[in-house]
Amino acid sequence: MDVGGEPNPRLSIEFCGLRFATPLVLLSGCVGFGEEYTRIRGFSNRDAGAVCLKGTTLAPRLGNPPHRICETPAGMLNAIGLQNPGVDHVVREILPKLDFGETRFIANVSGSTVEEYYEVTRRFDDSPIDAMEINISCPNVKEGGVAFGNDAAMSARVVAACRRATRKPLITKLSPNQTDIASNARACLESGSDAFSVINTLMGMVVDVERRTPVIGNNQGGLSGPAIKPIALLKVHQVYQVCRDHRVPIIGQGGVAGAQDALEFLIAGASAVGVGTALFYDPLILPKINRGIADYLDRHGIASVSELTGSLRLHAPEASACGCAPSHPGG
Amino acid sequence: MSDQAHRDTIFLEDAEVLSQEAYPAEQYFLRLRAPECARHALPGGFAHLRCDPLLPMRRPLSIMRVSPEEGWVEFLYKAVGEGTRLLAAKRPGDRVSLLGPIGRPFEPHPERPRVLLIGGGVGIPPMIFLADALRRDRRFRPLALFGSEVPFPFQARPSQHLVGGLPAEVIAAMPLLDDWGVPSRLASLQGYAGCFSGYVTDLARHWLDRLDAAARAQVEVFACGPHPMLAATAAVARDFDLPCQVSLEEFMACAVGGCAGCVVEVRTPAGPAMKRVCVDGPVFDAYQVFAD
Ligand SMILES: Cc1cc2nc3c(=O)[nH]c(=O)nc-3n(C[C@H](O)[C@H](O)[C@H](O)COP(=O)(O)OP(=O)(O)OC[C@H]3O[C@@H](n4cnc5c(N)ncnc54)[C@H](O)[C@@H]3O)c2cc1C
Ligand SMILES: Cc1cc2nc3c(=O)[nH]c(=O)nc-3n(C[C@H](O)[C@H](O)[C@H](O)COP(=O)(O)O)c2cc1C
Ligand code: FES
Repeated sequence: MDVGGEPNPRLSIEFCGLRFATPLVLLSGCVGFGEEYTRIRGFSNRDAGAVCLKGTTLAPRLGNPPHRICETPAGMLNAIGLQNPGVDHVVREILPKLDFGETRFIANVSGSTVEEYYEVTRRFDDSPIDAMEINISCPNVKEGGVAFGNDAAMSARVVAACRRATRKPLITKLSPNQTDIASNARACLESGSDAFSVINTLMGMVVDVERRTPVIGNNQGGLSGPAIKPIALLKVHQVYQVCRDHRVPIIGQGGVAGAQDALEFLIAGASAVGVGTALFYDPLILPKINRGIADYLDRHGIASVSELTGSLRLHAPEASACGCAPSHPGG
Repeated sequence: MSDQAHRDTIFLEDAEVLSQEAYPAEQYFLRLRAPECARHALPGGFAHLRCDPLLPMRRPLSIMRVSPEEGWVEFLYKAVGEGTRLLAAKRPGDRVSLLGPIGRPFEPHPERPRVLLIGGGVGIPPMIFLADALRRDRRFRPLALFGSEVPFPFQARPSQHLVGGLPAEVIAAMPLLDDWGVPSRLASLQGYAGCFSGYVTDLARHWLDRLDAAARAQVEVFACGPHPMLAATAAVARDFDLPCQVSLEEFMACAVGGCAGCVVEVRTPAGPAMKRVCVDGPVFDAYQVFAD
């Protein structure tokens, strides 16, 4: 049931040759394998331009022990540990049940070795999946994940291996847990990445003071939600400097909870905007964000949402009242 | 498209607070106007409530009673932290966003009409919902045993219903269930009048011990409460060779199966598995959850 009405053509974007009905993307790990949220009346995958499926590995994974999630100020920690039934099950049992007429489906490829990333990508290549997101930024597994993503050379090796396995669009999901995200993006771009997801979660911890243990079973977890939005925006801005001239699109994400947030990401350089944690408190948020973006386009007389991408006008360094250089951290 | 039966089974409602009553030990009865949830809820189901717009996450609460005719759902909860305290501050006329009903319900079997309901503390609400459903279905003969170490969130009174096989001095009952014709008895270590002095699972064992084999073969156990109580319930069920369904709790984010944040480890014929409490549960077969 499409309760969102006719899609607004001005919200539609082209992303690596794929048509997205809106710039909104449902984020990996928040919507299972694409059908879970359709349990809710009024929710429709048609309100998203694309849906990223849960991180998938070669063999099935049980994931981490509980507690896996915990609320934090303006956000949450998670350490799911990539629980998934393995790529073969996803391709054989899950993808055939998805309605590809409703939206684009993007696989989220994870692994512990370069070979595993290659193999998972290869198996998704031989499936109806529309694109693949390479998750080299999962903070919740011992091998692979963020261990690859925080090292530009390793990131590039993973991307190159996946590139050999498919001609479908490859989106590299970058970690914010690194000092120089821009040079990492450059290395991935040179290895064949078609697009970027910016950012994955930031590592964090919460302590149970009665027990004197971490609340999360995995001790640490990934921080998401509104708390990380300013960090995510700056990272999108930084990666956009690398991507702009190559016309490589970015799915900006981290704490989007309304149209205002989505607009900020678009202006900072994102072509599409991810929504994850916000669904947990407002499962019907997608149509609201779509409407808010459309209203903004109306108000500013902008023909298409893609015109917003990277339209940020930076202040000139002299304009800063304190005279600090823009790169000065705080002060 | 093959199977889309799961679609449109959960409702998001902007629910008006109809009433909120405080009981000792920060326990509250909360009634919300939520007609869709009231119409579709089944015993064992829960709702995911936005206790306050300032909190980034919702809170899960079991559904205790519904009126599909009047369009309300009722909860019983204890204020234990920030979310439930903010919920306790809501007054009639205020609004609470409700997502529900959620979860796999209890499944009683008519071939086992002697239903033993065991509830501990704020695990009592789903047992009340189940008792309400069973009394309307004439095939079942439920008995409810509730335990609490803080004052019960109701004024207990001597039961009007005789139950064989229980200690004679154990007469305190929950008035609501008594009025429904469902016998209930209470247990506590706190020495409350008319209550069994001990754990609710010891009271259950006492009753089961005094049933003959034929009657015992008609018993099925349903339980909700703190983890140690559920483990003890599973042990009692195992000792008497009875089927047993338990309702579990775990921290939740989405509550619709999307995040895999709420899992418990269960044993399956294919080996250990991580099951989501929100949509694979919250009701599970006790034997899959608790090892011997
Ligand atoms: C299916 C289900 C049914 C429940 N039914 C009832 C009920 O009928 N009555 C009742 O009083 N309580 C019930 N609970 C427990 C209730 O959800 C928690 O007491 C509540 O979430 C605590 O929130 P808080 O902010 O007040 O406490 P805090 O301890 O401050 O909560 C911090 C975080 O941990 C989570 N959390 C803490 N304890 C629990 C818990 N036991 N279960 C799940 N999440 C928890 C909270 O949701 C929150 O995200 C149920 C839990 C589940 C999973
Ligand atoms: C519960 C949960 C599970 C997640 N699982 C994955 C995953 O499997 N793969 C992945 O690339 N990102 C995963 N993420 C990260 C999100 O896709 C997203 O990048 C991040 O949460 C920031 O966006 P948000 O603040 O809108 O949630 C997960 C996030 C959450 C909250
Ligand atoms: S809370 Fe998200 S899967 Fe259960």
